[in-house]
Formats: sequence, structure tokens, C-alpha cells
Amino acid sequence: MDVRLTVYTVREPEQTIKQAAVVRHSDRTGKKGVKNMNIIETSNLTKTYAGFTAVSGVNLHIRKGCVYGFLGPNGAGKSTTMKMFLGLTKPTDGEFVIDGKKYPGDRIEILKKVGSFIEAPAFYGNLTGEENLDIVRRILGLPRSAVDDALELTGMVQWKKRLARKYSLGMKQRLGLASALIGRPPILMLDEPTNGLDPVGIHEIRSLIRRLPEKFDCTVLVSSHLLSEIELMADDVGILNHGRLLFEGTLEKLKREAAMKGYPTDNLEETFLAMIEEDNRQKGGVVR
Amino acid sequence: MKIALEYQKIRRVGIIPGCLAGGLLASFIPVLELSVRSEQYQGLLEPPLQTILQADWQMMGMMNMLLVITIACMMYHTEYADHAIRRMTTLPVTEEELYFRKCILLSGMWAIVLVMEMLSLVFCTLHWFGGKNGAYAEFVIDLLQNFGYCFCMMLPVIAISLLVASACRNMWTSLGIDVVCVFLATMIPVKYFALSLFPFALPFQILEGAEEGTIVGYLAAAAVEILLTGAAEMIFLKVRRSFA
Repeated sequence: MDVRLTVYTVREPEQTIKQAAVVRHSDRTGKKGVKNMNIIETSNLTKTYAGFTAVSGVNLHIRKGCVYGFLGPNGAGKSTTMKMFLGLTKPTDGEFVIDGKKYPGDRIEILKKVGSFIEAPAFYGNLTGEENLDIVRRILGLPRSAVDDALELTGMVQWKKRLARKYSLGMKQRLGLASALIGRPPILMLDEPTNGLDPVGIHEIRSLIRRLPEKFDCTVLVSSHLLSEIELMADDVGILNHGRLLFEGTLEKLKREAAMKGYPTDNLEETFLAMIEEDNRQKGGVVR
Repeated sequence: MKIALEYQKIRRVGIIPGCLAGGLLASFIPVLELSVRSEQYQGLLEPPLQTILQADWQMMGMMNMLLVITIACMMYHTEYADHAIRRMTTLPVTEEELYFRKCILLSGMWAIVLVMEMLSLVFCTLHWFGGKNGAYAEFVIDLLQNFGYCFCMMLPVIAISLLVASACRNMWTSLGIDVVCVFLATMIPVKYFALSLFPFALPFQILEGAEEGTIVGYLAAAAVEILLTGAAEMIFLKVRRSFA
């Protein structure tokens, strides 16, 4: 059966990023007609390195107050996209708007609103967990209580006096998360936040991420290469492969689209794998 | 306040004890020299301060420079070692700000070292030259002028060593580059003014016994080198970001 995949977007392609970003959607509970502003929007976002396209013409629409799961195999372009949002790498083409602020002009304003955790934990090994968070707190101009709050949220209180270089991988991961969560920013970008955590830790972090929008009125963009993980956390998903956005929408929409295209729908992991496989086949790339 | 943040980052790295120990060691040079052969210097016509500086400042300057470049490398090593710099770049602070704050902090540390060395000079002057010869009327003013001059002569080295440290993720690479520059400076013949403007050669200069024109020339050169290094750092960071 010749199944062709196309790029699915919530909005019409001709709709420009500057136009009103109000879309109608069905939320996780099935309520219809809730109006939401997209807090992050990209338009034709592209990043090319010498002879290699990491992100290709991506149009994302991330609703305010939702958990957006950014899904894709290793090397799909998830981290590169997040890095572009944080100004760590410059887009080759396209543009993006975060909470009404446009890159590169408003980069510092964007960073004030975004708590991030990219790739691997980054910290001062010579400082304790508490001191590391205190540095971030002082840069952001937050009250002293913000450090305790972040430590408590991530279950790091008992290890706060230990040097960060002596932390286990899981504790480093939690410290990275605490650093992203400090001050309860309105937007969180978490790149594979459960890497290195034990099953209990994974469960705790998943539950925390799931609760964040409701608890702190924030929007979470979380990446993973595991659909099973995203499934448990996200309201909306965006599936990337070879830098291209294969799908964007709710999990229900994903199931519907998959059924229409003849992909297995019993298990979302299989749906995801079938989509990636089909895309790889079309590109003439590696078939998994 | 923001400088205190940079200070907080270097806790437990050993920079502060190292800085104090280095300053103490350099301060000990004139004490050691005069305690061994003070009779060689006591009969000279030049003011004691000039005598001591001319005898010992080359070695003190060398030690000071090695101390400054080591601290500069360690400052950036704390940023790169566990990728803390990556977290910093995702916060509302620019790498340029980090660089300039580190420059100010390192300059402050250099001032502390210099104070220790100047106190050592005061001790040597009073102890070995004493009386009218040692505590002559303009001694304090001369001492402060020398302090200011030596402070300014080290600033280009501070700026350049931090630039090199910010550019190299491996501390040993930046340390190696700086050490090569220090030893290159020792090979430069001082009689050629243009060559002695090499940034790493400036900390060997002393105010005592120098002509006014030469002093102004060195101060102007130091100012230009600082400005050029600052500009080079900003351009470098911009270019590095664009290639990220």
C-alpha cells in the first residue's frame, strides 16, 4: 500500500506568523472551542550546517498552557530547534515568535521568560546544588525563596549542600530541571529531561511536568525520542524526522490520521515507528 | 553586585588562596634579596624604592604575570568544565558581560596582590634603608604612583589572558598560549621601545627612573591594547555565536 506522508500543521501554510495566533482546538479533556493563544510559533524555521539540514522549514504552533511533546528519533532536529529558540544557534532561514517576542531582536527578553534544560545538565561542579541555583536566581533577580522552591519541586532538598560534581547522573538531571524551573517561568523547554533517571525518578518528573501548566500556569515544550513517555505527559505532539515536521496536533488527531493512512493505532509507539519508517522510505534513507 | 556573582562562581577552586600565596611569594622576593645582600644596595645614590624595584621587579613581574594568567585560565575553566557556560548562555546575560565582569574581578585580585607587594617594599625600605634615606618626604607619593603604574601595566595582560581563556575550552591550551607569550616577552630587548609595547612585556616596566615621555607612551599603549582586546573579544564572541 503506497502511503504518502505529508506535513500536517494545525494552521494553513499561507497564514503568516505575524497574523493573529488564536486557534480553536480540542483540549485533552475533549472540551471543544477553547480559544488559546499560541505562545510559540515558528515560520519556515530552518537550520543548515555545512551540507546537512538539521531543521527544514518547520512550522510549529505551541498553545499557551499546554504540554507540547516534541518527538523524533535521535538526530531528528529536536535539540537544534530548542537551541534556536534559546538563541544558542542561529536559524539559517525562517523566524519564530515566543510570547510575542521576536528573535533575534528580543533575545534577552525571551530568555527572561524561558526556563530551559538542553541536552545535558550544565552546572558549576565546584559549587553545591544550592549555590548553583543561587547563581541562576541572582541573574534572574528572583527572591531567595525561589531556590528552596525549585529544590523542593525537584526533590533535591536533601542533597542541596553536596557539591554538584559529586552528584549522580540522576541528581545532576534533577539539578538541571531545578535550574530550569527556578522562578516558575511562563515557558519551559526541556530536552529529554528524564535521561539518566531511575524508574521512580522518571515517574516523578513526568508527573511534575504533567502538573506544571495547571500548577504554575506555564507552557512546557518537552522533547523525547519515546512516544510512550510523551503520551503520558503531552497535550499536543509534534513529530520530527530528518528535520521535517511530520505531524502536529493532539494525540487523538494523531490516532485519527494514522488510522486514515493505514498505520497501526493500537499502540502509539508503533504508530510513531511506522510514520518514521514511511518517511525514511520516501526519503530513501535508512529504514528502521 | 554582578562582580560578586563572578566571585561566587570561583569558590572552592583555590583561586583566592592561590592568589594570596602567589602575592606572598612575590612579596618575599625583595625581602629575600635584601636579607642576603643588602650591603650591595645601601650605598647607592638612587632612592631606595628605585633600587629595590630595579633589582627585583623583573622577577616579581614574571611571577605576577604567571599568577594572573593562571587565574584567568581557571576562571574560564569553571565555566567550561561542567558546561556551566551553556546554562549561562540560556539566561538573560551575555558572554560579553561575563568577560567584562571577569576582567574587573581579576583586576581587583591583581590590586590585592600589588598591595601585598607594595607593603613588602615599605617594609624593605624602612628596615634596610631606614631613617632619612628610606622614609624620604615623597616616599608615599612615589609608592602610590608606582602602584598605579604597575597596576595599569598588567591590565592588557589581564584582558588578553581572559580573551584567550574564553576562546579555548581546554584550560591547558589557553595556559600554554599565555606562557609562550610571557616567555616571548622576556626575550624582547627593552631598548627597542616599539617591541617593548608587546602586552606581555609591559608588566616588566617600572615607573622609577623612567622618562616622562616613555611613561606616557607606555600608559597610552596599555590603554589602546585594553580597548583593542575588548573589541576583539566582542567580535570573537559574535563570530563564534554566528557559527554555532
